[in-house]
Amino acid sequence: MMGEAYGHAVTNGIVLAAGGVLLLAAAVIGLLSATGRVNPALRRELWLRLASWAVLLPLMLGPVLLGRVWVIGAVTLLGLLCLREYDRATGLFREPLMAAGVALGIVMVNFAALDHWYNFFMALFPLTVAVLAVLSIPLDRPSGYIQRTGLAVFAFFLFGAGLAHLGFMANDRFYRPLLLLLLTAVAINDVFAFTAGKLMGGPKLLPATSPNKTVSGALGALCGTTVLVACIAWPIFRGTPLDHWYLLVGLGIIVSFAGQAGDLMLSSIKRDLGIKDMGAVIPGHGGLLDRFNSLLLVSPAVFHYVGYYVGFGLDQPTRVITG
Amino acid sequence: MKWELRPARDHGLTPAARLRSSGREPGLGSLAIATTWRGAVRTYLRLAHSLRVDGLEHLPPAPFVMVANHASHLDALTLAAALPRPLAHKAFALAAGDTFFTNTPVAAFAAYAINALPVWRRHTTTGDLDALRARLTVDGAVLILFPEGTRSRTGAMARFRAGVGALVAGTRVPVVPCYLAGAHAAWPAGQYLPRPGPLHLVIGPPLDFSGTDRSRAGLIAVSDACEQAVRALNPAQREGSPE
Repeated sequence: MMGEAYGHAVTNGIVLAAGGVLLLAAAVIGLLSATGRVNPALRRELWLRLASWAVLLPLMLGPVLLGRVWVIGAVTLLGLLCLREYDRATGLFREPLMAAGVALGIVMVNFAALDHWYNFFMALFPLTVAVLAVLSIPLDRPSGYIQRTGLAVFAFFLFGAGLAHLGFMANDRFYRPLLLLLLTAVAINDVFAFTAGKLMGGPKLLPATSPNKTVSGALGALCGTTVLVACIAWPIFRGTPLDHWYLLVGLGIIVSFAGQAGDLMLSSIKRDLGIKDMGAVIPGHGGLLDRFNSLLLVSPAVFHYVGYYVGFGLDQPTRVITG
Repeated sequence: MKWELRPARDHGLTPAARLRSSGREPGLGSLAIATTWRGAVRTYLRLAHSLRVDGLEHLPPAPFVMVANHASHLDALTLAAALPRPLAHKAFALAAGDTFFTNTPVAAFAAYAINALPVWRRHTTTGDLDALRARLTVDGAVLILFPEGTRSRTGAMARFRAGVGALVAGTRVPVVPCYLAGAHAAWPAGQYLPRPGPLHLVIGPPLDFSGTDRSRAGLIAVSDACEQAVRALNPAQREGSPE
């Protein structure tokens, strides 16, 4: 059982820190603008990014604070919007039947999370993949079958089965501090990687996949995020089977590694397609997927790690809708 | 094994810019809206205008260009609604950019409901025409256009402009001539809403311009042939008296 309920010190701390960082960033950018230390183009870019964060942060933190249904609703919407970006980037949208199959799968798997029906939640991955595998066969158009089925299965894994683990976590009474930790840790993981890479330089990590990433940045993020996650997770999991320093370090490594892997996965997708961003809905950031790529792999990895030692919502009623 | 990973033509555009892009490609959401809208328009045309369609058997497989006389806002709605379903989902009506795409809510309606693509009258560039040709030859789309350039204020057909030739001359994309009768009486320019009245759409056999070159003379030959074919479909003229 995890820590305390709503009003947990970690919940309050993360919300206050996120608001504080936003205000501090505004003050720094304001100061730089006032003293003329940045050129107008960079100033505009910085304000644009800050404005986007000012909209994104409440949209990310708000549902977590509001409750279980809000979290699962937000994860469903995020999954569908990510699917839209992905299908337009890969061309899957030209196969509306397959895109509709994935969208239905995303809705179903999030419904299973909302119903708190773990067996169905788990069963939906192989079942949806099976449906997607046969869905386009009646069209009697074998040309392109492997491509459209492969793209659809990949999409369902990423935005349905994978991301929905984030919503399922909300079935635990004490989900708030953990979800807030994950949402902020994946963002800070990127900041650590960027800062360590800039400070230390050195050889590139995977230059053909992502030319700006360095080995030092990846290792810096791994160290920084692991320590940060382990320290913040300690009060969350105090008194649970996860309350051992090496297990909390393991959690930190998983968050940092899966976060960076998700980032590199999206870079691989974009390089393969020959595009820079997945979309243009978030000014200064690109698409939703450019912002939330790290969460895609972190969600299932952390869910099953924490689930193995602690479990989620074990004392909560199950099948609350289908009864 | 051939993989073809082709992002949407409008990929990377902001939502507002996407509405105004001639490369706009509808996704799942657009398809759902367009299907609902098409059902509503078909019901309306049947009930309020007793729409009669002749010559559906002339429609070739996509891609093709539909050209028709233009006397009313009902024209594009009727032509798109008359197409059978697989073709209807590939059909884009070319609409005046200065009328339908300057205001974002109107542009959203034109894009999502009517599946319109903007044409900027007197400002169309070679790039714009190449983009529209690619929609036909690469995407296999159906383009609905009104070569008169604007709605007739009297109901009488004006001369066709040469634009249609620039899209199809020298390609294997056929042009399907159509004549819509009754639209001017039902919803003339200047009237706020349509009033009930019969509509009769006649679809003619497709015209082939694969052997026509893209010279000025070639483009005029295409528009003249299209105009002649559309005029010949006028049901009133076919019965021996002008409408």
